[in-house]
Amino acid sequence: MATTAVTSAEIASEAPRSDFGRVLAQRERRFAAALLAPAFLALLATTTFPLLFLIYTSAFRMDLAMPFTNGFVGFENYRTLLADERFWTSLLVSLVYTGSTVALQVIVGLALALLVMDMKRGQGWFRVIAILPVVLSPAVVGMIWRTFMLAPEFGIVDYLAINAGLGSKNWLGDPTLAMVSVIAIHTWQWTPFAFMVLLASLASLPEDIYEAARLDRASAWQRFRRITLPLLRPAIVMVIIMRTMVALTAFAAIFTVTAGGPGTATEILNLYAYRKSFTELSIGYGSALAVALLIVTIIISGILFAMRRAK
Amino acid sequence: MPSFTPTRRTLLKTGTAAAAFATVGPAFLRQAAAQDVDLAPYKSAQIDWQQVSGETITVAVIPASYFENLITLAPQFKALTGIDVRFEKIPPAQIRQKSVIDLTSKTGTYATHAADPMYYALYAANKWVEPLDTYLADKSLTDPAWFKLDDIIPAWRSANGIDGKLYGMPYDGEVTIQVYRKDLYDAKGLKPADTLEAYMSNAAALNTPNDRVWGAALRGVAGAGQNMYIYPSIFREFGGDWMKGGKLTVNGPEAEAALAWYVDIMKKYAPTAAANWNWPDIADAFSQGTVASYIDAHSSASVINNPEKSKIIGKVAYARWPKGPSGKRTTSIWNWGFPINSALPEKKRKATWLFIQWAASAETQARTAHKFAGPTKRSGVNRTSVWKDPDYIKLMNGFGENFVAATMGALQEDTDVDWRPRVPQWPAIGDTMATAIQSALSGQATIKAALDDAQRRIEPMMRG
Repeated sequence: MATTAVTSAEIASEAPRSDFGRVLAQRERRFAAALLAPAFLALLATTTFPLLFLIYTSAFRMDLAMPFTNGFVGFENYRTLLADERFWTSLLVSLVYTGSTVALQVIVGLALALLVMDMKRGQGWFRVIAILPVVLSPAVVGMIWRTFMLAPEFGIVDYLAINAGLGSKNWLGDPTLAMVSVIAIHTWQWTPFAFMVLLASLASLPEDIYEAARLDRASAWQRFRRITLPLLRPAIVMVIIMRTMVALTAFAAIFTVTAGGPGTATEILNLYAYRKSFTELSIGYGSALAVALLIVTIIISGILFAMRRAK
Repeated sequence: MPSFTPTRRTLLKTGTAAAAFATVGPAFLRQAAAQDVDLAPYKSAQIDWQQVSGETITVAVIPASYFENLITLAPQFKALTGIDVRFEKIPPAQIRQKSVIDLTSKTGTYATHAADPMYYALYAANKWVEPLDTYLADKSLTDPAWFKLDDIIPAWRSANGIDGKLYGMPYDGEVTIQVYRKDLYDAKGLKPADTLEAYMSNAAALNTPNDRVWGAALRGVAGAGQNMYIYPSIFREFGGDWMKGGKLTVNGPEAEAALAWYVDIMKKYAPTAAANWNWPDIADAFSQGTVASYIDAHSSASVINNPEKSKIIGKVAYARWPKGPSGKRTTSIWNWGFPINSALPEKKRKATWLFIQWAASAETQARTAHKFAGPTKRSGVNRTSVWKDPDYIKLMNGFGENFVAATMGALQEDTDVDWRPRVPQWPAIGDTMATAIQSALSGQATIKAALDDAQRRIEPMMRG
């Protein structure tokens, strides 16, 4: 009889504990979902929906100048795009621009980081000074370079070039020099980012490995190539990924400096899409160009992330 | 009498009263000032200015002195009509896009905006703006004897009309004219150029880069409203016809000759930087004495005569465009006009019309020009009668020798409604041509290749 009573008591006490646990877990999940919902909805509203709308728009002919021809055209915009010489030219310009500026940012950023790492004094000041270009608006940077620095006969760069015996150059009016100029401007503005990331990574490298290497009489170059570079690889790849993404979609500085000119010499894909959509008012085709840029960005990012995983 | 002792309550009350007055007072003062101004010239119009009192409209303008003057006078319009006008200033490069986006979405944000005359073909094709004939013919809205539409410069009305219907009322406009350093010209025994060939030889004679003086400068920077603002005049003067055989044609021998002239003068006798210059850059260079001559908007005269900046005041003179091989002179037919947004409800459309009528009236044109109290004087008034007003002429002649004659001559003799192709596709065509011109200018493409490429790109745009 006593045994029966104990058994009943045990059963009664077990059930509430189990139910309570499940209910608690369920409540926490619901609470987490409630907290997440506003941010998630905001994300949907500001990225997913516009993206889907962009893709939808690219399936239409939406030409404000000839409204009577508007309507659904399926993949017509993409067929036109693939046959558009200017699209391929601007894609090439984008790749050259992105490749050049990212390579320069990493190389110069790493060089500066190595230099500053060995500084005994003034490192803090150098960091502050280095960060200044990054905080400026790209449009402001572009305007300063265009009007004060690069104007032939009147700009500072031209003044220095003349005094160095190179003579006056049409930095923004010559197709090749214009491309070099916009690459230099972008590099100048964003190298500090690479510098800061790589400097932080350098600071975190273990000293004992270098100590061991020095004991084995490794040269400075050997230490750099076999220790520093491999250990920095994750940081370098991360910098490359981030800078590539930014450079592929760079707009403000180039728009301000050359607006894609002279002619189409510096017209990256972004600028071409802008012109098609808002200057020529061919919004359907402009949307297709923007989708193409998105695809290119995804492909390149995919390659870079795959590169990162490779060990 | 007990002495006054400040307490927290009295301080708060006083502070609140002071704050309230500081907030409301200025508005009352402005209102009073507006009431004091003589509105009689407007009230002589046989219409009820107060017929849509209480409405509010938003007007988009560019940040330019001729609109600043209008904004300064807006309280008079409020006093006259009871309509509140809110102005939004948008740079020239963006106002076209913002306006098109507003019109195409039919949000009716801007009741009216400073409109590019080349966009009326687009606006009309989409029925985004109202034909103004309806409002002009409505005697309850417009007093024809008072408004005197015919007094508004005919060339600008033509530019703002499509198929004989007026879509935008000209407010301020400009022509392009030859601007030159009279002292430098006189020293070399040169006269303002009568032909494009003479203009080139004048530039050659005055081109001394070692002394930091270049013979000439024209707009090089790419843009439908930049280098494609100057090139069309040259194109027409070389006998170019945009609608050759009814088909839009931008290449061919006349175009090649015109572009060759443009490229030649820019490469040989302009500062290298001019390939990227717009008119403010040219005017600045001219002000500093580094450019001997340019062809651009007559309104740049106020920039080159700015006492705070200019080194060449008193040494400037003006002339009409040189003639091209075709024997024609072609100036620009540019103006900022005010259309009425069709997306507006009826009352707001009427309010917008009353605003436009007020802004374009002879009285307002005078009050924003030679009768304006402020420092900046307008040189782009829309009224022929104002251009003949002795006070206005005296003011304008202060800009330099032959300014009025050159400007009026250009307006009356050299305007050509087909100066640029007036088609709905203009935004795309203008940009395509601007790119082609700059490609040739920078040497990225030969003249023929640049024009043929532009033709190849433009043809699909014109197919319906």
